[in-house]
Amino acid sequence: MTMSVVETLKIHDAAEVEEAVKAALAADTPLEIVGHGTKRAIGQPLAPCRALDLSALDAVRDYEPSELVLTVQAGAPLADVTSLIDSKNQEFAFEPMDTSVLLGTAPGRGTVGGMIASAFAGPRRIKAGAVRDHLLGATAVSGFGETFKAGGKVVKNVTGYDLCKLIAGSWGTLAVMTEATIKVMPKAESEATLVLHGLDALTANRAMTLALGSPFDVSAAAHVPASALSHGGVLAELDGGRRGLTLLRLEGIGASVAHRVGSLTSALQGFGGVDVVGEESRRLWAAIRDVAPFSAAGPLGAWAVWRIVCPPAAGGELGQALARETGGDLMYDWGGGLIWLAMPPASDAGAGRVRARLDAVGAHASLIRAGEDVRAAVDVFQPQGAGLAALSDRLKRSFDPRDILNRSRLVRSVGP
Amino acid sequence: MSLKMPEPDRAVLDRRTAIIADLRRIVPGEGVIDSAAEMRPYESDGVTAYRQPPMVVVLPETTAQVAGVLRYCHDNGIKVVPRGSGTSLSGGALPLADGVLLGLGKFKRIREIDFDNRVVVTEPGVTNLAISQAVAHAGFYYAPDPSSQIACSIGGNVAENSGGVHCLKYGMTTNNILGCEIVLMTGEVLRVGGKAAEAAGYDLMGVITGSEGLLGVITEVTVRILQKPETARALMVGFGSVEAAGECVARIIAAGIIPGGMEMMDKPAIHAAEAFVHAGYPLDVEALLIIELDGPGVEVDELIDRVEAIAKGCGQATLQISTSEPERLLFWAGRKAAFPAVGRISPDYLCMDGTIPRGKLPEALARIRSLSEKYGLRVANVFHAGDGNLHPLILYDANKEGEMDKAEAFGADILRACVELGGVLTGEHGVGVEKRDLMGDMFSEIDLNQQQRVKCAFDAKGLLNPGKVFPTLHRCAELGRMHVHGGNLAFPELPRF
Repeated sequence: MTMSVVETLKIHDAAEVEEAVKAALAADTPLEIVGHGTKRAIGQPLAPCRALDLSALDAVRDYEPSELVLTVQAGAPLADVTSLIDSKNQEFAFEPMDTSVLLGTAPGRGTVGGMIASAFAGPRRIKAGAVRDHLLGATAVSGFGETFKAGGKVVKNVTGYDLCKLIAGSWGTLAVMTEATIKVMPKAESEATLVLHGLDALTANRAMTLALGSPFDVSAAAHVPASALSHGGVLAELDGGRRGLTLLRLEGIGASVAHRVGSLTSALQGFGGVDVVGEESRRLWAAIRDVAPFSAAGPLGAWAVWRIVCPPAAGGELGQALARETGGDLMYDWGGGLIWLAMPPASDAGAGRVRARLDAVGAHASLIRAGEDVRAAVDVFQPQGAGLAALSDRLKRSFDPRDILNRSRLVRSVGP
Repeated sequence: MSLKMPEPDRAVLDRRTAIIADLRRIVPGEGVIDSAAEMRPYESDGVTAYRQPPMVVVLPETTAQVAGVLRYCHDNGIKVVPRGSGTSLSGGALPLADGVLLGLGKFKRIREIDFDNRVVVTEPGVTNLAISQAVAHAGFYYAPDPSSQIACSIGGNVAENSGGVHCLKYGMTTNNILGCEIVLMTGEVLRVGGKAAEAAGYDLMGVITGSEGLLGVITEVTVRILQKPETARALMVGFGSVEAAGECVARIIAAGIIPGGMEMMDKPAIHAAEAFVHAGYPLDVEALLIIELDGPGVEVDELIDRVEAIAKGCGQATLQISTSEPERLLFWAGRKAAFPAVGRISPDYLCMDGTIPRGKLPEALARIRSLSEKYGLRVANVFHAGDGNLHPLILYDANKEGEMDKAEAFGADILRACVELGGVLTGEHGVGVEKRDLMGDMFSEIDLNQQQRVKCAFDAKGLLNPGKVFPTLHRCAELGRMHVHGGNLAFPELPRF
């Protein structure tokens, strides 16, 4: 997939990672950090490098359900780990996205390390936070070729700098994580989803804001406009041609969910009829989480896809403007705070038009799906202002002074 | 004070008069305090055992003034110690003899309340409780609630990543902060994050939170606010042994219940609290659990029943369930007053703050008991049982020769035991100066060097709050040196495919 890989080093134990980084430093050949490789097509194209394959670091080190703590090696398959904690009725509360739907990679693949490095939180982010909020500790090898420990193995800890926050979402550019301790949470006993039909983006945004500002503990709020429902799938079936879905999820013990369904339904009276979905609720939210309407296998599979994060109450207006100006198709999660925008094919994925609107509302955009030539031509991740960019660069160098890890994946090199 | 702080810079102290004059040009009016009497309140924070008058106190009112002071100090090689309300329990705001004490107390304005985006944008000197009060009329509150919330500032909360009794369910400060304005030691003003759920690039807000004033000075914070739960009720359960109480906590979590708060007290703490507030605590039990459930009424009622059944299955000795709001608050009154209550039965006490894996509680308490005998000092334990955060209160008398040193050594042994049991040195109070010299018990030199390199990315001259958190200070150039020699390194052949 990545054309620039010259060879692959298969790691068998954590000590080899340190050796591999030292070797890479000595040879001045950067490393691409890979688990199952499901997200290799995200980011700026890499400089020529060796791939460091961590998928054999797949052990579960420790799992104490009553401590809410799980320690695994970075290469552990996410699917296996998810079934393990599911067997104790626990989960990652941040609902990690399965990117295979959007990227067209093999389903059910992906490692815990990849989940942490990419940090794509699902619908419950508005209530439970993201992987950053659940990564308690990590062992990693820096670009100095040194193995260091960050954080701890308990749920409450303020000892030293919280380096875990930097590692989560860093796309493997700061250190090669070999082991992670993650907080797990009990799964809700039941859930129900309230469904509003036919709202425009502004009205849907208002309905979601009302719900999220209510005491009813809404755990997810999404809006899928009619245009995004024209491609089939579980969401389209639910819509039944009624021009757009607005979904609000309630989770908890049965009696509580039933009570809140009633209260929230009354609170939403001004927005038209409310349907309640019980059984199907999980499938609906998996489709929202994985951006199923823009699936690689669907009719928009060839379109580029942007992930835009903005203040939630600004989402409706921003999304409407983007749809109008770009001819793109979009859907909203996080109560309006996350917009997925599919763009008709273009050599720059419409980057200029997308980003022109973002600064004014405090939003930022990343290009999650696009061909390599497009990714080489645009800033995949939102460029930062001079001060933040310089600080980020100093941070990168404080972990990886020779830029040996995932070189150029985050920031486009503006070469000669 | 046996604590070793960075050697005062004689050249800086010699220029004190000129420096004060320069600072007055940056912060005019009464914002620069240099008289010994007026500086006295700033000599220590919540850890009153450590005292040090600063060279000068500066109380800026604007971000531009903060930037001006920091730029001036950066250019002139002067150390700076930031301070919020001065309630730190780890000595994080302990001044330096040759340093500027930069107080943010004048940043007292809430700048914006945005109910639609569920955030408050505030200046750092606003107290934790004032944020909740400002949004209470609309049913909102700010979730993290350190016990000092009436006094502690939100800027200090960010610096320390403060917790509170509700953080098992609602998270610490770091889980409830979206952005800030921060001034670096060079005077550069940066905006990090904002009203969106996450910012672009590395999670700078995440590493700034809990950095104990070593990375920058925060001049504005954007916090998340939540709707208040409809109702809350509490159970108070006494047990004949700490083991039984610990088992009850484990079973509640294993049953998938995350209470709003779950606190444990041991016998000495129960007795001290009861004598102080008369909350009706049972006096013949070894451990007392206070478990609070919050949410919609129907949910709380059902969970109370479930927790009651679990407690009975663990052989509870006493059990009371609050039936009214005053009763719930009474259950809490003793726990919330545990520190002053212990203060009444002893001339002095040290409050420790380690975290352990919850299952290790009986072992931890047994070790604390045997250390108590070894040092000949009494100890009372209060415990955030849900998240394993232990607060042993060591009783001593500072007027007795050598007793404070003994208490400190006892505390250090407790924290080492926490680390040995798989835990950490501090769960919510911070490292500061108090636990600084124990960092080597938890982290290797490589770990600490990596943390200090991060410090270098923010403050290359090491002028911001030096002497805190890290037991040994290194120059940034030394930390950044790469010890790999190109081509000469022997490395084994790696397996390939």
